[in-house]
Amino acid sequence: MTGWHLDDDALRRYVERTDSLAEGTSAEQHLLSCEQCRGRVTAAVDVIDFAAVWDRTRDAVEVPRPSVFERLLRVAGLPAHEARLVAVASAFRGVWLTGVVAVLAFAALAAAIGHTRGMWLFLAVAPIVPCLVVASSYDPRMDPALEPELVTPYPALRLILLRTIAVLALALPAMLLFGLVVPGEAAFAWLLPAVGFVTVVLAASTWVSPLRAAIAVSLAWLATVWLLAARSSSPESVLQARAQAAFLALAAASFSIFLLRRRWLRQLRPWR
Amino acid sequence: MVTASIILREVGRRFGATRALAGIDLELKPGVTGLLGPNGAGKTTLLRLLATALPPTQGQVSVLGLDPDMPAERTDIRRQLGYLPQELGFPRGFTAFAFVDYIALLKEWTEPAARHAEVRRVLDLVGLSDLGPKRIRAMSGGQRRRVALAQALLGSPPVLILDEPTTGVDPEQRVTLRTMLAEIARTSIVVLSTHQTEDVAALCERVIVLDRGRVRYDGPVTDLTGQAAGRVWLADEPDPAAKVSWRTGTGRYRNVGTHVRDDVEHVEPSLEDAYLLLRGGSPEHEPAGEVAS
Repeated sequence: MTGWHLDDDALRRYVERTDSLAEGTSAEQHLLSCEQCRGRVTAAVDVIDFAAVWDRTRDAVEVPRPSVFERLLRVAGLPAHEARLVAVASAFRGVWLTGVVAVLAFAALAAAIGHTRGMWLFLAVAPIVPCLVVASSYDPRMDPALEPELVTPYPALRLILLRTIAVLALALPAMLLFGLVVPGEAAFAWLLPAVGFVTVVLAASTWVSPLRAAIAVSLAWLATVWLLAARSSSPESVLQARAQAAFLALAAASFSIFLLRRRWLRQLRPWR
Repeated sequence: MVTASIILREVGRRFGATRALAGIDLELKPGVTGLLGPNGAGKTTLLRLLATALPPTQGQVSVLGLDPDMPAERTDIRRQLGYLPQELGFPRGFTAFAFVDYIALLKEWTEPAARHAEVRRVLDLVGLSDLGPKRIRAMSGGQRRRVALAQALLGSPPVLILDEPTTGVDPEQRVTLRTMLAEIARTSIVVLSTHQTEDVAALCERVIVLDRGRVRYDGPVTDLTGQAAGRVWLADEPDPAAKVSWRTGTGRYRNVGTHVRDDVEHVEPSLEDAYLLLRGGSPEHEPAGEVAS
């Protein structure tokens, strides 16, 4: 016991934890042996809301940290809760995204070095990837919690559209990236077919499972590309304005069907 | 004025050529109603109809005075509904807290502090308050079922639809869950399906027995049990006169028969005895060509 006591400033810094490690250790040593200063600490901390501190501590342990994709969505302006709802889909999780990027990169590489054949490969693969990702972002087989999701007040239509827009938004930077390696206009030509196929899958998922629809669309597109390539057409045929306008019309028609039939989305259920 | 009841009038549901439900007329009030029936009897289809996960192909459903066929009213119903599906998967890598928090987001709990407090409350209700940060994949079957149940309890909904809530849950936890559900049912309509007749006997005031998509029995549990009075007896051998008999732990045979008998050693009937009697004594009987799910 000494005649020395913590001065008011040191005490405040200790309570507010703004002191240095050395000062804090020293203050703590003194408090162990000084009842008078301990009393002053008690008086100074009684305003702390321990319940709030406990909640913050539990939050730090329990609340999941947002993924990179979720943070990107927030940066893009989506409210925090909706960014979480979009990012939760399996389609936006690490392994999936890596696989998708790898497939697209392989196709782009083939286009860059393989001339006409490589270009056909790129045009065959790139447009179907987004519709497969969209389908897997709300297919019951890929989203095992779909049934309770669909009976919440959150509109299923909004959830599906937000996830679709997120996929297309991901496709944009990918397109710019491929523009650097894929020669000519082909780097951009896959976007309208991709949008068209995504909307066909949306419309078809009011009848069948989204993944089935996406697989059917993909097979149809692969067959078309194979036929075109076998007839030794040039990849330019897909790039022509008339073909691109047809994909735009396909997208508009499919989206209208999707909106008209949206009530049938509630029929989505785990496939057995 | 909110009508605290669920009403079904002549409700039917088909899946293609298969009839899953037909001619269902029910009125459900606050309290616990248990659904019993063999696999394929239509229990899950009925619960999915009540939970607005599936529209009927025939008849009318009204939940709390609202029509699930009208989009705006359906959303209103969903705001007041907790639903535990029979098979609930969890997104990969999720912890218990993250999953319930995700469903809470869909249930319009957008304010983080209130949402997190609510998630903790429901995890506490199902006895998982310490396992919030645990990955669901690392949990036992019973713990996963309780996580699934927790999401249904978010917001203390006035309507709670539970499809086999106690599957895989250990006996101690089942008792805890029963106590919790009984408390909720003081003000809420709780409908649950189960294969555990003891859960129904311990928890439900009312029992509905479904068979091949139709209501076979609807009434108090005690009345159903009463139907087996005088029809359950013990004997040293399986009795040929019984509809069903099985060897009990004491080595003697418990016999359940359709006729009241005087010349035998009667025992107090259980709900299971009454249920087997109602089912015609064939616990594994599956209706041919009438598969419902």
